[in-house]
Amino acid sequence: MIKDFEYLAPKTLKEALTLVDKYGDDCKIIGGGQSLLILMRQGLVAPKYLISIKGLSELSYIKDTKEGLNIGALTTHRAIEKSPVIQKKFSVLAEMEQRLASIQTRNWGTIGGNLCHGEPAGDPAPVLIVLKATLTIASLKGERNMAVEDFSVDYFEVALKHGELLTEIQLPAAPPHTGTAYTKFNVIQSDLATVGVAVSITLGSGDGICQDIRIALGASAPTPMRAKQAEEVLRSKKITDNLLKKAGEVASTEAQPISDIAASEEYRRELVRVLVARVGNEALARAKA
Amino acid sequence: MSKYSVIGQRVHRVDGPEKVTGNAKYTFDLVLPNMLYGKILRSPHPHAKILNIDTSQAEKLIGVKGVVTGKDTLGKKQGIWRRFSELCDEEILCREKVRYIGDPVAAVAAIDEDTAEEALDLIEVEYEPLPAVFDPMEALKEGAPQIHEGVELNINVTRHIEWGDVDEAFKKCDYIREDQFRCSSQAHMCMETHDAVASFDYSGKLTVWTSTQSAYYIQALLAGMLGLREGDVRVIKPPTGGGFGSKFELDSAQFCACVLSMKLCKPVKIVLTREEEFTATKRRTPMYYYLKLGAKKDGTLLAKEARVITEGGAYTGMGATALYLTGFFSSFPYKYPNYRYDGYRVYTNTAPTSAMRGFGAPQSVFTGESQLDMLAEDLGIDQIEIRRKNGMTPNYEVPGQAYIQSCGLHQCLDEIEKHIKKRGKLPPNRGIGIAAYGFMSGGIFNWFDTPYAFSAAIVRINIDGKVDLFTGACEIGQGSDTTLSMICAEELGIRLEDIRIHAGDTGICPPDLGAWGSRETLMNGNAVKMAAADAKRQLMEFAAAKMGVNITYDLDIKDRWIHIVNRPERGVSYFDIVKEAIRGRDGEVIIGRGHYTPHRKGMISPAYSFGLQAAEVEVDPETGRYKLINVTTAHESGTVINPLGIEGQLEGAIMMAGGYGFCEDQPMDEGKILNPSIADYKLIRSLDMPETEILEIDTYEPEGPFGAKEAGEGLTNPTAGAIGNAVYKAVGVRITDLPITPEKIFRALKEKEKQGKKSK
Amino acid sequence: MKKELKLTVNGQPYELYVKPKTLLVQVLRDHLGLTGTKRGCNESSCGACTVILNGMAVKSCSILALQADGGKLMTVEGLASGTELHPLQRAFLDHGAFQCGFCTSGMLMASTALLNENPKPTKEQIKEGIDGNICRCTGYNSIIRAVTAVAKGEYKEGK
Repeated sequence: MIKDFEYLAPKTLKEALTLVDKYGDDCKIIGGGQSLLILMRQGLVAPKYLISIKGLSELSYIKDTKEGLNIGALTTHRAIEKSPVIQKKFSVLAEMEQRLASIQTRNWGTIGGNLCHGEPAGDPAPVLIVLKATLTIASLKGERNMAVEDFSVDYFEVALKHGELLTEIQLPAAPPHTGTAYTKFNVIQSDLATVGVAVSITLGSGDGICQDIRIALGASAPTPMRAKQAEEVLRSKKITDNLLKKAGEVASTEAQPISDIAASEEYRRELVRVLVARVGNEALARAKA
Repeated sequence: MSKYSVIGQRVHRVDGPEKVTGNAKYTFDLVLPNMLYGKILRSPHPHAKILNIDTSQAEKLIGVKGVVTGKDTLGKKQGIWRRFSELCDEEILCREKVRYIGDPVAAVAAIDEDTAEEALDLIEVEYEPLPAVFDPMEALKEGAPQIHEGVELNINVTRHIEWGDVDEAFKKCDYIREDQFRCSSQAHMCMETHDAVASFDYSGKLTVWTSTQSAYYIQALLAGMLGLREGDVRVIKPPTGGGFGSKFELDSAQFCACVLSMKLCKPVKIVLTREEEFTATKRRTPMYYYLKLGAKKDGTLLAKEARVITEGGAYTGMGATALYLTGFFSSFPYKYPNYRYDGYRVYTNTAPTSAMRGFGAPQSVFTGESQLDMLAEDLGIDQIEIRRKNGMTPNYEVPGQAYIQSCGLHQCLDEIEKHIKKRGKLPPNRGIGIAAYGFMSGGIFNWFDTPYAFSAAIVRINIDGKVDLFTGACEIGQGSDTTLSMICAEELGIRLEDIRIHAGDTGICPPDLGAWGSRETLMNGNAVKMAAADAKRQLMEFAAAKMGVNITYDLDIKDRWIHIVNRPERGVSYFDIVKEAIRGRDGEVIIGRGHYTPHRKGMISPAYSFGLQAAEVEVDPETGRYKLINVTTAHESGTVINPLGIEGQLEGAIMMAGGYGFCEDQPMDEGKILNPSIADYKLIRSLDMPETEILEIDTYEPEGPFGAKEAGEGLTNPTAGAIGNAVYKAVGVRITDLPITPEKIFRALKEKEKQGKKSK
Repeated sequence: MKKELKLTVNGQPYELYVKPKTLLVQVLRDHLGLTGTKRGCNESSCGACTVILNGMAVKSCSILALQADGGKLMTVEGLASGTELHPLQRAFLDHGAFQCGFCTSGMLMASTALLNENPKPTKEQIKEGIDGNICRCTGYNSIIRAVTAVAKGEYKEGK
């Protein structure tokens, strides 16, 4: 059951930052609460103050810029899924959102809330990592930026200090001949990923050589991780089926999955091996298109 | 042109408008003035002595009105197998010992749920943990912890079924297979969890509203446990959010709510959380199966031997029945000249296992149909052919056990054979697997030791022609309210909207054993038909006298028109006759009574329904993941009373039975269920559901009302077996332990590859 | 500690005073007596609590009531107009798209939200629309048939 708390609903970002700074350890921030409320109902999280930022419409936006796309932290999953500009410029994000939980959850839950929850099996993080996304974190002291890749620190732990709030996610425009794909493996379609794989490939113009490559894995380590060794197998090479297979093999040894009721560690490694090759293939096809 | 005017029509469910408007009030919604909310404290240990329970701190918490423990009860043990005292082994509120993680030890009533929950944390229980055992194979060993006093080797129940001489027969077989299987547990996952509102009043009467499949069993068991007269206990079943076998035994929500209410003389409501539902209510029986099957080389089955050990969990519940039925249905649906079954139900320190839709038969069919396919392949015989060769036929006697009257299995085989041909050549890694079944329409054995008829009904015709139908049958979603109203209307010759059904209230309805074992349509349907016929007869006596005709041969009533059979235009309105008949009887309403108890119908059931299901799957050989593409079922259930109802039951059964094969499981560690949440307990949702097709075979069952027999449960039998066979057809690996997960398929494929490389 | 909460539910404005920890589903069921919306789990998985908030299908067990302050809600009780049933309700009756009925309110609200957003959904989109809702009785296909029939226009006014 949920323990009683004091509820505060700041109307501006500045107000929110002031409260978060004031209450420090005694408070928790709630966006859509689709992850937080589950923990609070089970009594695992019981803050004295709950600061609701759901009403901060100033943090809910999708802005198309020359450099790329900026997404406000409070943008809902559903808004991202349905956004025409995202479907056009970063379709992999819309595809990923479409398979996230259920429509009801996506209607109220936010991308920022999802990232801050730090679920190792979460879908957005691996995709944002291969898209080289960066984050803006605000506090009363000002703003700082960091790569999404560095945001997760451990199981359900992110690099947010007290008094800080995630405000924006930036997606740099993809270079030409870039293809990105994501898949998650599960038994029931809407389940959390047993293993999630995102791959982004940028080809050189004309020569078909892999100029840039990113492979990110979900549910394969305490945090979403980049399979850097696997990336090296493909970087600066002409990508063939065999090479993709090899990358998959390397990724499967790089990963640090656990055994749980959903799958054994061994099986997760095998899934990484198979899916890195498959998703890599898909990303390659998109890069060529 | 249908010869019936009501049955066989596609009608709206009689409880439909209330349900689609959200107006139906479930126990979950019930609020009474001054009602308190209860919560149950449960054992964290799988096996322990209770040394002391200190409730003093909890009692002091503001808002708490009462706390009870086993000391506040009469200290009796109860069980649904009431006839056998050694099987009445469950106190519910434990006094000296707890036997599984989740066994109740105390209950609190408070002004709201949160306060009650807070109070649980303040109850101090001193346990002395005891060695525990979780696997039935381990529990059978010498020196294993004894779970119930005096029960050697933890063997709770044994069952033996035999006919012919299997040992001799095996000697004559051209080919014999021996195989082992493991069948998993499964959670009912009713959308409405177990709940009850108990209200004990100052006149010493107890009223209990509860989500249940049998108001009668709950009434009788509560009376026994609480020391009340049965007549002073009234159990009322409001609209109920699912049962599937989990809700016809006395449960902790009901019992604890009653004990609290009796102590406080206030209404007390207890609603189990979803977590309690997963961990502390009964579940499907996991089974270890050994099968030996022998045949002639032309595929004629000569002998089958089955040895089964089931994981009983901490208490008997309906586990004794599941043990028997799994052995009985392992002989279905084929004609075995020789058969032997030995079953052992073993206590373990895990959540009790009991009845779940299918009742041991899904396990029989998964194992039996898997093995039969393997045998057929070994002998080079087509899977349909071997079933045709051995399948049961109408008017067949299972030697000494059961007499099967109607049986449409062979027509089902024909239809599925056509279906498979129509699907044509399948792409790689796709396969269609089949599984055949036969299932009972209600059980005959009186293990509850009830002196009442198994089903009874009362029909009351009022002055305006509106009929009140009173029945103990329990509508749990399966559609019995509608089906029984249809039977009543058909028999009386009036319309569905002329019937108002009152069901599942022990205060006003005659007893019925409840909605389990697929018995309502056949058993209660027969009782309703008899009651309607009785009332009709009284009405017709009046009409016959008035019209001067022979009551039996000349008169009939259809669609509210009482008429002369050969001159249907000559007749009189039902409404007019009702008015005259009632006036003619001093204003007394017309009451018809009916009842049904199967006698001399063999040992198991008065009738059986049959079917064959084909499941089509597509496997991704690189990961082992597979999709359920299509599940087509040819089935026969006698006359179809409620077509919309049957379709719903069939498709719903596929979701549940498919889940048993595809994804549902309750993995445990040291007696602790590891996935007690919907997120972790995987079930089929709309995106995972295959296409479904129903091929209805026309049969007529003489034992059933208008020729009807069961449809809701038999259909949960075949899907796991069909999936197992389909996966084999698709990628050549056979999984013999449920559920059939991608990881298991992956490992089996890897193993197969290794074997393949070895033999090169 | 308690805070003011203003909601419009099925066109009716309400002013309440609730503890911050109160969930939206609790306001609907316990404070307003609208028991059509059900609860089937404690971890936002079953969908029985689905309602429409500001035009979107949401799980009311997963939203703090105060976060919905000022919002417009529709629950199953708001579907029918007096005794005239909503097309989806009529379709559910015709197609037997419910049995025990406990998931039905949630299914109806998820379907209503789906059709409001997308009046001509494909079968796949309908499946997706109700994928957040579990039904243990029907196997979903009858629900999909009912929603499809409404989308096809079989329940237009006067039919």
